Amino acid sequence: MDNLSQEAVVVVVTTIVAAFAIVIGTMIPTWVEGVAAQKAIEGMARQPEAAPQLRTAMIIALALLETASIYVLLIVLVLLFANPLLPLLGG
Amino acid sequence: MTVIQHPIVFHLLGIPVRDTVVFTWITIGIIVLAVLLLKLMKPNLLEMILEMLIGVVDDAMDVDDLHPYIPLLGSLLVFVLVSNIISVVPILKSPTADINTTIALALIVVLSVHVFGIRKKGLWGYLKEFASPIVLFPIELIGQLSRTLSLSMRLFGNILSGDIIVAIVFSIIPSFLPITMIALSMVSGLLQAYVITTLAALFISSAVEINVEDLRIKAEKAASKKLKKMRKELANG
Repeated sequence: MDNLSQEAVVVVVTTIVAAFAIVIGTMIPTWVEGVAAQKAIEGMARQPEAAPQLRTAMIIALALLETASIYVLLIVLVLLFANPLLPLLGG
Repeated sequence: MTVIQHPIVFHLLGIPVRDTVVFTWITIGIIVLAVLLLKLMKPNLLEMILEMLIGVVDDAMDVDDLHPYIPLLGSLLVFVLVSNIISVVPILKSPTADINTTIALALIVVLSVHVFGIRKKGLWGYLKEFASPIVLFPIELIGQLSRTLSLSMRLFGNILSGDIIVAIVFSIIPSFLPITMIALSMVSGLLQAYVITTLAALFISSAVEINVEDLRIKAEKAASKKLKKMRKELANG
């Protein structure tokens, strides 16, 4: 680590953290979405006459759950392409 | 990456115009042209599309009269839909892959919720319902902010991630495989247009709905007061 510049260390650490963040931040919301969709489909199978309402509610719930992973994606994009930590080193 | 950057294309009267604005104009032009062509050639198809829009809005809202809300929600759906799937054309980029467009759309939605609420219940009535109980008023305000943020971020993130994945796959394997990714991002664009319209419809219908229970309590109180008055009058002769 001694022959690395400070910028390089920050970039490497940020990249590793971003990779971990996107993996965990997409894994957990996808899992939860799977549970939500499973319950909704079980409900549709049990009561086919309530299927349209269930479908609308399921799509809205999935979109809301999807927001969590979208936030993670945006943070990762900021870390990778507009790293806010690099300018701090220059001062 | 060229997907994320938005370069300035030209200056209009000293105001820098970015490429998002140009693509938004192209989107509007496509929508207007399509509607005019459909009106001239196949009015039935146009009517069918309108029925479909009304159906989408009607599914999400439980109000008696849909007429005030159809222009806003329908044009929101059509605009977001066309601008999501416009990036299929090689040179064009989605206007909704820029955060400025989506924040503008979310602000329009969140402000129009209050406008519809005030128009329906009056200023005082709307404020009274907005801040009841009064302890929750700051939380409501934070809720308005986070609503704007989540509406805009959701649309922006979904469309941008679709574009980025297409660009990455294209840079690795430039033939055939990007088509599947483009199809996937088209489907997600369709879904996002539906979702933002449904959420806007839900917000508006929660702002304009009149609390039936409150009305019933008020009517009962008025009736009992009237009854008391009548009894008093009878007792007095």
